[in-house]
Amino acid sequence: MTDLAGGISRREFLNRLALLSSLAACYPAAILAQSRLEAKAHKQPDWLNQDTWKTLVKVQEHLFPASTYAPGAIDIQAIVYLHNTIENPAADGEDREFVLNGVGWLNDLAQDKTRQPFVALGEQQRETLLRQIEESRAGRNWLSLLLTYLLEALLADPVYGGNPDGVGWKWLEHQPGYPTPPEDKSWYRLASPVRFQHKAT
Amino acid sequence: MTHDYDICIVGSGAGGSPVALTLAEAGYSVVVLEKGPWLKEQDFFKDELACCRRSVYTPELADEPQVIEDLDSTGDWVGEATSDSGWDFWNGNCVGGSSNFMSGFFYRLKPGDFRLLSEFGPIEGANIADWPISYDDLEPYYTRVETEVGISGAVADHPLAEPRSTPDFPYPPTREHPVSRQIDTACRKLGYHPLRTPRAILSEAKGQRRSCEYSGYCGSYGCSSGAKGSARAALLDRAVATGRCEIRAHAKVYKLASDAKGKVIAAEYFDVEGKVQKVTAKIFVVACQAIETSRLLLSSTGPNHPDGLANRYGQVGRNLLFSAGGSGAGDFVYAGMSDQDAEALKTRGPFVNRGLQDWYTIDDKIFGGRAKGGTVDFLLRHPNPIGKAMSVKWDDDDRLVWGRPLQKRLKSLFTDAQYLRYEIFCDWLPTDNCFVSLDASIRDKWQTPVAKVRIGYHEHDLKVGRYINAHAVKVLEKMGAKNIRSSISGSPPQNLVTGGCRFGKDPETSVLDRDCRAHDVENLYITDGSFMPTGGSVPCTWTIYANAFRVADVIKSVNL
Repeated sequence: MTDLAGGISRREFLNRLALLSSLAACYPAAILAQSRLEAKAHKQPDWLNQDTWKTLVKVQEHLFPASTYAPGAIDIQAIVYLHNTIENPAADGEDREFVLNGVGWLNDLAQDKTRQPFVALGEQQRETLLRQIEESRAGRNWLSLLLTYLLEALLADPVYGGNPDGVGWKWLEHQPGYPTPPEDKSWYRLASPVRFQHKAT
Repeated sequence: MTHDYDICIVGSGAGGSPVALTLAEAGYSVVVLEKGPWLKEQDFFKDELACCRRSVYTPELADEPQVIEDLDSTGDWVGEATSDSGWDFWNGNCVGGSSNFMSGFFYRLKPGDFRLLSEFGPIEGANIADWPISYDDLEPYYTRVETEVGISGAVADHPLAEPRSTPDFPYPPTREHPVSRQIDTACRKLGYHPLRTPRAILSEAKGQRRSCEYSGYCGSYGCSSGAKGSARAALLDRAVATGRCEIRAHAKVYKLASDAKGKVIAAEYFDVEGKVQKVTAKIFVVACQAIETSRLLLSSTGPNHPDGLANRYGQVGRNLLFSAGGSGAGDFVYAGMSDQDAEALKTRGPFVNRGLQDWYTIDDKIFGGRAKGGTVDFLLRHPNPIGKAMSVKWDDDDRLVWGRPLQKRLKSLFTDAQYLRYEIFCDWLPTDNCFVSLDASIRDKWQTPVAKVRIGYHEHDLKVGRYINAHAVKVLEKMGAKNIRSSISGSPPQNLVTGGCRFGKDPETSVLDRDCRAHDVENLYITDGSFMPTGGSVPCTWTIYANAFRVADVIKSVNL
């Protein structure tokens, strides 16, 4: 299996994610709150310390906020899902570049308008800024893509790193199908080896 | 001259597999060349990303684009690569083809479908033709498919029921959803005749295949129990078990090479590493689904076939057919319903299995008398949650929705109502504006020219669709559905494609003879849906299976 995430094996990577992701065992809110507390005790993967990913966490939290009403980006491990998805060698490399470049544009705009990075902004400022970038075609596509990955993190099978223990399914009273995919039958391992080779080289 | 195999089949779906099974069982050596991977029951899971949101069962459009040619606002035909538009016409490229991912709504054609021209007369601008065979010729093979593939159902009296040679289906109906009874009640009040939709899904185990497990995720998904009558589970696995059928996955055939006399001598393909390979055989069968079958023939020029194989009169690719019609839907809001009724409607797993064929033939003055109509089939909203959630990402002003408003919309979408829909299947009249050719500039990852598909439709199709829709929508109204909406469109559904190599008596206006052998290539047969001169007003898969079994019997009788 091709290494993901700069040198660690996929299994190790998933183990780390599992650690990170003991939050949000299930909905309802009381359990979420407990999980959120516990989650703080775990060490986070290194990539989450990079500014780019910190910004993405903040954007996701704004687009899909946690509350007693709904699980938020943090509860559905949206950042883990996003990382898994765009760093996957079988995935669309253009999406990866677009997501990461978009963070640069967002922070440039934040500096320009507020003299602060996006992560330092308050909720109203974040909203204003994101609605502003929505006005441009690229900005709109970028937000749309992040929302797509958020919805996937909420509702895709937990094997992909989001939707831990089906928290998204439970919130929306959605009954998943069976059998569900084990790790070694995830989509990118079933995809044609021709394409896999093509993408990996 | 020695050959690698007796029979070489290009494509492993519903068109190729009946031939593979029949000929292997008869003692011939068979090779099946399939472009995609060989996935089996143990590879299929209820994984929305794998089934429907990533290119797992179909190629990446950047690797294998097609070009779709549509009318622009000024009335010109303009082509756009699917890699640019994202409009994907691939339906399942793996062993067993798109039959792995079908819902298995199985309807026979009716006798009138075989003689549309004589029965209903010509329509200006449409190339309607009678078939060179009759319903009676195909009936034994429809029956054979019921047992070979496994079809569940129950025969009921119906004013427009087609004749059948056995009293009933070999498998009882699959389990049914509580909403089915509500549909029946509403239909009867309206004087309609609701029918149980026959399904290519086992309601009881058969050989290695288990019965349906009613997960509720069927259409678009590969089947993990083996209950779905895919060409792979139902036929190819048995063909391989004879020891005389070899399946080569990741074998992308790009050309059928022919000799100076015009006979096909070899199938040339790219293997998994992109290397050129070759297979020789006595007889070649092509079944790559309509668009790609025409593309392969057009690409297969030879000394006696300068414009492509079987294309002496320029007929290959012409009269391509889709399934015309449209769809409608309505909401059943849980609020105001008893808990018991709401829970019943939320049931996930059993099938709706209801159709209407009351307007298969129309007799109405707005059509100036008798006209060909179609079929209505009911189904619940597809259960895929991500696809469903994506529908609330944009608001009515085309702005993105996020934060609490997005969460509220999601909660409402998933928990407020059930959603019943129907699909209308009508004839897509064959016209000069719906055909396959080779694109002059776009190439796939193997550097071969891709298919260009012009997708023009006939206005008459919309007229028929709207007529049926006016009746179908009354069922939802009678059932008390809210927010009823419907649309009839000339935009082709990508999953039911036939025609392009129609069979007929006249070599100047058809590609194949009545046995589905090319008029001008003595050892070439085409057994996917390409042969159909008209498509019928039902999903075409049962007919493709039946015809392929029929042609297999013909090939078996040829002195190899």
